Amino acid sequence: MRYAIKPEDHKRYAILTDTTLCTGCEACVHACKQTYELGRDRAWRWKSKVDDLSSTRFTTIITRPGNHHVRHQCRHCLEPACVSACLVGALQRTDTGAVIYDEHRCMGCRYCMMACPYGIPRYNWDSAVPYVRKCILCYDRIKEGQLPACVEACPYGATIFGTRAEMCKIATERFAANPGKYYQQPGQSEPELYGWNEVGGTSVLYISDISLAFLGWQSNLGNQPIPALTWGALTKVPPLALGVAAAMSGIYWIIGRRIKLQAEAAARESSEARHDVPDRE
Amino acid sequence: MTSPTANKNLERVKTILWAVMGVWMVVTVARFTNGLGATSGLTDVAPWGFWIAFDVMAGVALAAGGFVIAAGVYIFGLEKYHQFARPAILTALLGYIAVAVGLLYDLGLPWHIWHPMIMPQHHSVLFEVAMCVMLYLTVLALEFSPAVLEHPLFHRPLFQKLLGIIKKLTIPLVIAGIVLSCLHQSSLGSLFLIQPFRVHPLWYSPIMWLLYLISAIGLGLMMVTLESLLSAWLFGHAVRTELLAGLGRLASFVLALYALLRLGDLYHRGELLSALDGSWEAGLFLVEMLISAVIPAVLLALRRVRTSVAGMATCSIMTVLGVIAYRFDTCIVAFARPEGMPYFPTWIEFAVSIGIVSGAALVFIFFNENLNLSGHDKHDEPAAAGQQPISPTSGHGQRHSFTPALHRHSLVFVIAAAAAIGILPREAIFGAEPRPTPVFHSRTVEALATNVDTPLRRLFHLTSLAGNVPASEDAEPVTVVMIDGNRNWRFVPFTHDDHAAALGGRESCRLCHHQNLTFDQNTACFQCHRDMYETTDTFDHALHARKLGNNAACAVCHRPGSGVKSRETALACWECHGDMVVAGSIIPTTEAGLMGFAVGYMDAMHGLCIRCHEQMARERPEEFGIEFWRCDFCHREFQDTDHRRLAPYVPMPPGHAELSAAGTSRSNSAQP
Repeated sequence: MRYAIKPEDHKRYAILTDTTLCTGCEACVHACKQTYELGRDRAWRWKSKVDDLSSTRFTTIITRPGNHHVRHQCRHCLEPACVSACLVGALQRTDTGAVIYDEHRCMGCRYCMMACPYGIPRYNWDSAVPYVRKCILCYDRIKEGQLPACVEACPYGATIFGTRAEMCKIATERFAANPGKYYQQPGQSEPELYGWNEVGGTSVLYISDISLAFLGWQSNLGNQPIPALTWGALTKVPPLALGVAAAMSGIYWIIGRRIKLQAEAAARESSEARHDVPDRE
Repeated sequence: MTSPTANKNLERVKTILWAVMGVWMVVTVARFTNGLGATSGLTDVAPWGFWIAFDVMAGVALAAGGFVIAAGVYIFGLEKYHQFARPAILTALLGYIAVAVGLLYDLGLPWHIWHPMIMPQHHSVLFEVAMCVMLYLTVLALEFSPAVLEHPLFHRPLFQKLLGIIKKLTIPLVIAGIVLSCLHQSSLGSLFLIQPFRVHPLWYSPIMWLLYLISAIGLGLMMVTLESLLSAWLFGHAVRTELLAGLGRLASFVLALYALLRLGDLYHRGELLSALDGSWEAGLFLVEMLISAVIPAVLLALRRVRTSVAGMATCSIMTVLGVIAYRFDTCIVAFARPEGMPYFPTWIEFAVSIGIVSGAALVFIFFNENLNLSGHDKHDEPAAAGQQPISPTSGHGQRHSFTPALHRHSLVFVIAAAAAIGILPREAIFGAEPRPTPVFHSRTVEALATNVDTPLRRLFHLTSLAGNVPASEDAEPVTVVMIDGNRNWRFVPFTHDDHAAALGGRESCRLCHHQNLTFDQNTACFQCHRDMYETTDTFDHALHARKLGNNAACAVCHRPGSGVKSRETALACWECHGDMVVAGSIIPTTEAGLMGFAVGYMDAMHGLCIRCHEQMARERPEEFGIEFWRCDFCHREFQDTDHRRLAPYVPMPPGHAELSAAGTSRSNSAQP
């Protein structure tokens, strides 16, 4: 049932967000904005709302009916669609688990924005020199052993940081300590650890008392990594190239030979030479 | 060969094309100076729009005629189509150049367009497309180069040697072109495989790459047909119906194969019935299928349609529109976007694409007038015809008609450019501007508050407010209304319960809810909290009298012999409250006239807090060595100048929390 996740991925960093502890104070958003000097959010034409994810907001709180707050941010997939989509390798998954962006490589094709199953990467459209913007899991901070700014800022411990295995352990402990509190998919034996399997597993995990299906483009994103879909087509490219080349060479040879034989036969039969190009005005 | 009508048609078309070029020049400047956001309709949820769908997806498909005809003529030995080969290859070359130019508009950082060559990431379908298009452009240029090198201008030994080499390489070049075309025509379909959640199931398919390839071949055939009909109309050639009929017959098979594959794939995936469920996507799908494949395939199977100019024109236009619609549907129309975020291209996007096509058409016409495009090896006769493109029957040679044409073209170019500048939207001229920020309702959040006696002096455990303040031992959860209308992070935490408690419980409701303006639901904060910028009389005479011993205490402040007991003749506050005096303070506490009035919050901060901090920093630098004199020390939330000026509520920096908590308790205990 579960997509086989590589063991080393469990040793990489992850964020666990417990939406039942989140009060929606947006301290994480503020900390993120201060860390990356993002400035204030403006109501641009290309945003659905001011506090949507944007090039000035890498994480945001989605408020659902019933005072549920869900923090939205880049999931740092174990098999990121954006990384596989980027044709110049501007998006990379690092050993820490963070998916980072190199603006010196980017050419601005925005295929990553098309590819992301969660619709995370944003563009600073207002600039004449625009770049892709998204959460990078505070790569520079976690490399130095610090917490991501959002995790450090959270006053309630609603969003915590550690290795993926630790996060899973904490989630399981919370499930055990609070039976019936967390959302359980129908037909499942245990509450949902959202992100554990989705699109091949993500580094940002959620436990919640509501269904988090609204976070993706589709309610069920499946457990298959997205890059596998295009890689399947790409592996067909070399055989297709060789096949077409071989077929064309073969047909050229056969038809050329047939035309030659016909011409020779025609030349033998009559002295009248056959024109190669009979049609002319 | 050319007729006066054709000549007239050509001149009219050229005039229109030059007018479009004028508009194009203006929108190009706007696009590259002000960026994508200001000139296009693209959004964060519609990152690919008209330019990708039309210039790239449809452009590449429309240029498929080049490799299809090249394959037919050079590989399958269909010599009778030789006269189509050069125009088709030229169209393909111009088409791919148009694709590349269109891409420059769409890319955010077009000056990095060469990056895929040195930073390959071979897991990306787009990388494969980019490399194939780049290589195929080179192949097309080489395939077309004989037509240029045959021109009298290049009758030099070096060029003729080059021409000989290229002609020898024709077959390998053609095969390379076919391979590269098959690869990237199919990979354009594979691009969408990465988005199974957003492309509608009627379009998303694991064999999208095959559908894209086959539909491109069918479109290529019909595009060659359409082009030869168009150039017959423009240049006054006779229409070669029997040749077109052959193309039509082949196209009929290819389009039928495409339709069968598409429907068969839908059937295989069990989505066939959703094409009939009445949704608008289903309608779109049906229309697209009918005009792109089903109707042309059926019509082209009829010999009578194939041999008639009108029939071929209808079928080719239908196929062209249908296959373009297929590309648009997968890329834009049947692509999931959230509610309320529709994408519709701006007219600038249309103008750029139309401008690119017009430029390509002008280059095509130029080549057609000056080069031998029929492709016969003996260039004497066609070249002679090619050098007199303007009808000799009209009595004007090229040289004579050139100058008036140049004048006319320059004129329409300038007029169109001026008109385009006139109707450019404001954002395209001055750069993107944000919409007015909507005012948000206040939000209710739960917070932990220190349990101090004075309810309105609570310290809320919200990091956004006061840095990382640890929750105190006796913290209690309270409901805080966060008033942050413009979401700019300077929110006011309003605690309703605390206000009620401080103002006298149930009796206090009227203070805020019944003393308000017409239609207001409650009194605005500033109706009570007037001390932000105004001086306020904070002196509580009754409290002082009570604390100092009622009637006996008058003389404490109103010294005997000072005359009538008034504010002006009493002691100044600081004469008792010595700790109010700060050296260098700009608050003139010694002036009797201001006694009893506290300055506004802003003046107090600037006049007292800063001076005190500076003084303390001098006295005890190890404890107070902070740069309090810097404006952005307090006004630090936003480092932009917009917001530095007004900061009604300044969050205390971390570490100040203890100070303010201590200050609160001191003021409680140290009441005189």
